[in-house]
Amino acid sequence: MRVTARKHPLRLPASFALVLFLCASQAISWERFEKTYKAKDRSHLTISNIRGQVTVAAWSKRVISVRAVTDPEVDVEDEVSKEEIEISVKKESKLGRADFEVFAPADTSVTIKNVIGKIEVRGINGHVSVKSFDSDVRLIGIRAPSVEVRITGGDIYFDGELQEEGDYSFQSMKGDIEMSLPASSRFRLKARALSENINLGEFLSNFKDMIKGSKEISGSYRNDGPKLSITTYAGRILFHKK
Amino acid sequence: MGCNQFEEMISDYIDGALETGEHTMIERHLADCESCRALRDDLLQLVHFSRHLPEHTPSNAVWTAIQTQVKAERRVGLRQRVARWMARLEERNFSLSLPQLAAGALALILVAVVLSVVLRRETGQSLETASVTGASAINKNLLSYPDLKQIEERISQLESSVEQRKASWTLDLRQAFERNLAYVNQSLIECRQQINGHPEDKVSEELMLNAYREKVRLLEGFEAF
Repeated sequence: MRVTARKHPLRLPASFALVLFLCASQAISWERFEKTYKAKDRSHLTISNIRGQVTVAAWSKRVISVRAVTDPEVDVEDEVSKEEIEISVKKESKLGRADFEVFAPADTSVTIKNVIGKIEVRGINGHVSVKSFDSDVRLIGIRAPSVEVRITGGDIYFDGELQEEGDYSFQSMKGDIEMSLPASSRFRLKARALSENINLGEFLSNFKDMIKGSKEISGSYRNDGPKLSITTYAGRILFHKK
Repeated sequence: MGCNQFEEMISDYIDGALETGEHTMIERHLADCESCRALRDDLLQLVHFSRHLPEHTPSNAVWTAIQTQVKAERRVGLRQRVARWMARLEERNFSLSLPQLAAGALALILVAVVLSVVLRRETGQSLETASVTGASAINKNLLSYPDLKQIEERISQLESSVEQRKASWTLDLRQAFERNLAYVNQSLIECRQQINGHPEDKVSEELMLNAYREKVRLLEGFEAF
């Protein structure tokens, strides 16, 4: 009896597809950086990125978890000393992309430096500092004693509570700045918008000692309170009462 | 406002030479027109880079050629004017005695001397006033900030450094830099316009100084790559 091997009609296309798939997966391969750090009381976390998103959210665990998905050429390094944790993308990483996802205890102070890419911080009660150039910044559920956001191009959205004796500063050269604050807030405001308008929304009533110019509104809402400084050169300043 | 009108006015807009109403019209148009925004950004970049082009001194041969041409044009112009004047004189018939001529000449000399003294004094005074008011306005608006000169020097250093590094950047990094630099430069232009229109505008002065600092931050940030 003669046994003959039947040629499968799909063998060649299947092999070709497999080769293509392997090539493609090689071309879009991603690296992962994944580490956890024991959080001390009031740890200070710094993320220095170049291109890509950075998301930081509070959780109940006493550890800081940092995950980054990066282009293969990107090197991520970390440095830990006492309560300082610094995660940074090496500058000579051929400017590849790195997307960070971080979970940290709410009392962690967070500093984010970036060049291009969205930034989001949620539920943090420690100090928050964000400096970037080409980024939209969203800060949600923040109860920090101080917040500083400085970007060149991009919108800023802040939703949170201002703490007594706090210091809050937001600046964009081109972009809207929106503040969503509880009705019970108190603050001393200095808001400047060079080319567009400032809308205090429902905070306009009970706004005291108001000095209103063509580009500036200053005064206080419900007497004294923390210092709130908002500046945008080409964009609007909008207030929403929660 | 249409795109054609915008193109006619864009030079004045970039130089900060528009009236407030015209400036507002341009801003409104820019808010709606992406192609004109792109044109504005391109021109801002062009203005920015042209400031750093090397200066070339023309050769002596070029200067000599220009001088010769100007002299020739002057000579032709003068000859034509004298000929016209003589023709007009010939049309009229003057008959004056010698004492009349002498008195007339003396009066002309006196008028010329008085006029030259008065004019010289007034011109000197007005120039002096203009330079004092101009300098004080500039001092008040810009140079009263002791660190502004240092900031400008720093910007100049950083710009040349960034320019050298740009070649190795990725396309999106370069685009992000150009875009954000245009935002800062646009803000500086608007601050200057505001200050020119209202020299006592302290808010615009502070905003301008702050925009200068932002420019330093941007250049320092990108210089690292």
